[in-house]
Amino acid sequence: MTRVTIPVGPQHPLLKEPLSVRLTAEGERVLEAAMRLGYVHRGIERLVQERTYVQNLHLLERVCGICSHVHTTTYCQGVEALLELDVPPRGLALRTLMCELERIHSHLLWLGVLAENIGFSTIFMYSWRDREMALDIMEGLSGGRIAHAVNTIGGVRVDLDRGEMYAARRLLNELEKHVHDLLDVVEHESTLKVRTQGVGGASLEQVRRHCAVGPLARAAGLDRDLRRDAPYAAYDRLSFEVVTETGGDVWAATRVRVLEVFESLSLCRQILDDLPSGEIATRAPRRVPEGEVVSRAEAPRGEVVYYLRSDGSDKPARIKIRTPTLPALSLVREQLRDINIADVPAVISGIDLCIACADR
Amino acid sequence: MRDLLSVLVTVFVFPGFGFLVACALLFEWIDRRTIARLQARVGPPWFQPVADLLKLLSKENVLPRQADRPICRALPVVSLAAVLTAALYVPVGGRVVYAFEGDLIVVLFLLSLPALFYFLAGWVSGGIYSILGGSRSVLQYFSYEVPFLMALSAPAILTGSWSISDIITQQAEAGWILLVQPVGFVLAVVGLIGKLKRVPFDIPKAKSEVVGGPLTEFSGRKLALWHLTVDIQTVAGIFLLVNVFLGGGDLTLLQGSTPLGLARAVTFAAKALAMLLILSVTSALYARLRIDQLASLGWRILAPLGLVQLAATILIGVG
Repeated sequence: MTRVTIPVGPQHPLLKEPLSVRLTAEGERVLEAAMRLGYVHRGIERLVQERTYVQNLHLLERVCGICSHVHTTTYCQGVEALLELDVPPRGLALRTLMCELERIHSHLLWLGVLAENIGFSTIFMYSWRDREMALDIMEGLSGGRIAHAVNTIGGVRVDLDRGEMYAARRLLNELEKHVHDLLDVVEHESTLKVRTQGVGGASLEQVRRHCAVGPLARAAGLDRDLRRDAPYAAYDRLSFEVVTETGGDVWAATRVRVLEVFESLSLCRQILDDLPSGEIATRAPRRVPEGEVVSRAEAPRGEVVYYLRSDGSDKPARIKIRTPTLPALSLVREQLRDINIADVPAVISGIDLCIACADR
Repeated sequence: MRDLLSVLVTVFVFPGFGFLVACALLFEWIDRRTIARLQARVGPPWFQPVADLLKLLSKENVLPRQADRPICRALPVVSLAAVLTAALYVPVGGRVVYAFEGDLIVVLFLLSLPALFYFLAGWVSGGIYSILGGSRSVLQYFSYEVPFLMALSAPAILTGSWSISDIITQQAEAGWILLVQPVGFVLAVVGLIGKLKRVPFDIPKAKSEVVGGPLTEFSGRKLALWHLTVDIQTVAGIFLLVNVFLGGGDLTLLQGSTPLGLARAVTFAAKALAMLLILSVTSALYARLRIDQLASLGWRILAPLGLVQLAATILIGVG
């Protein structure tokens, strides 16, 4: 059989963001994959050096269109550490609430994308409909569906009143019912199973070697979650389970993500039930003392790391961002070897790539 | 003169081309609307299929340089002609344009032609996705066509006639063939889904894998004709199954009675809509299969079932 090169991307119905994967195939078998990145590079790491710490909040929120809040959270944590600033407990709790809502919305979005890519548009429609509820809560809280502008250095910028808390609780309850239905379908639908089970399997060894993080690593059995292992924000006061599965295939990753939505729903409820009173933010000075710091947080896709260096002025000297998609990209190249062409969509979407994050 | 006029009306209006095209667009709308409702969406308004068709017809018609132009231009026309001709032999509520002994075979042959043209379209239009989609469509063709043919041969063997009209008449006396050959009916429906490349058998045109499949490089008028071909194939396939398995336009389930005119048309329409509903619900319920999974479904389950059905018909039904 002759070898052919199949271009997937930078424009392709499979991809929601520009990424170029060149598959070398023989018949229906993929032998090798080569990647090209950088189509959405915006030079954000350079741009932050031109702006003040407060202006950077808005720039860094736009690193990613899905996990926008977790980026500012990590950034604020870093700056707050440099300033040795104590964030009031209510501010931390509200910050955590947004993080968890964002995780719910990200995981449901991912489930829809996976379903659409394996030709199951009904699940796509349902999970994106349910995702709207998480977006509604975030909109009620902050006024923004995608870019929330909730975080500020020293705390958060929006507070919840009784009415908003009531509305959020009601939506959370309804959302939980819908996610139960989704889980039911995911666990029992046979065509979904045959398309995801045994597809894109990553072993524990592979996950370790590529330093994969987040649901991807937890699906392979790596029990690691920053929210528990290195608690930040309000996570030390909350109780939750870290969901792990074995096998590392797309099926396991699906289960991990759907079950994590339940954990996140419970976390949101815990925060709303036990919201500390008091201030939501402390005032931060304009200038940040000289020093460097590493800040970490568990984004929906796994650990995101910010390195910050300050030279004592009101602008950062250097910010380096490491997103969870980076190790996932090196893993997916290995997973795209010796598989069926029809499994490529499941493998690529199973990883939950965020190209905007990775390219910056 | 009168005869000529009535022939023209039969061929071009009812139950000929005009009726078929109207039916095709109506069925497409019902199908899209049903799936949308099942997916918690609103779905398109009734004129959407017409608007889509007109829009495509008026759009720019481009082909890549390496494509074989004359063949690419001819293929959609020929396959549309094939399905339209097939539909002429399929009775609609007792009315048929032309019928003769053996028309079932002709219809089956003409209905399977578009699959081959579809493959050719992928092969000559010169794009990597088209070629992949084309080779997939041939693999798929072998998986569904054999069970489909076996399923539709069984009623003919049971009634001892290869004429669709004969099969309908005999059902009016002896009851629906669905009741004696439920397995055959299921096989025929699965085969039809494969023929129409609907979910879960939309493998040759899986957009996340091969973009648009064999039709990736087609645009404008040619693409519009391809879409119309599939729509008319849907109508012809549904009408064929209604006639062969559900007793055509006849009212009663078991007892023989041949209702007239309107009652007959209404019964036929109800049965056809029920069939369409089966197709729509199926496509909302499943994820797309992989080509090897379809092949093993076709050859390990469907084809043996079809053989059993045929053997049972020959041994018990006729012999």
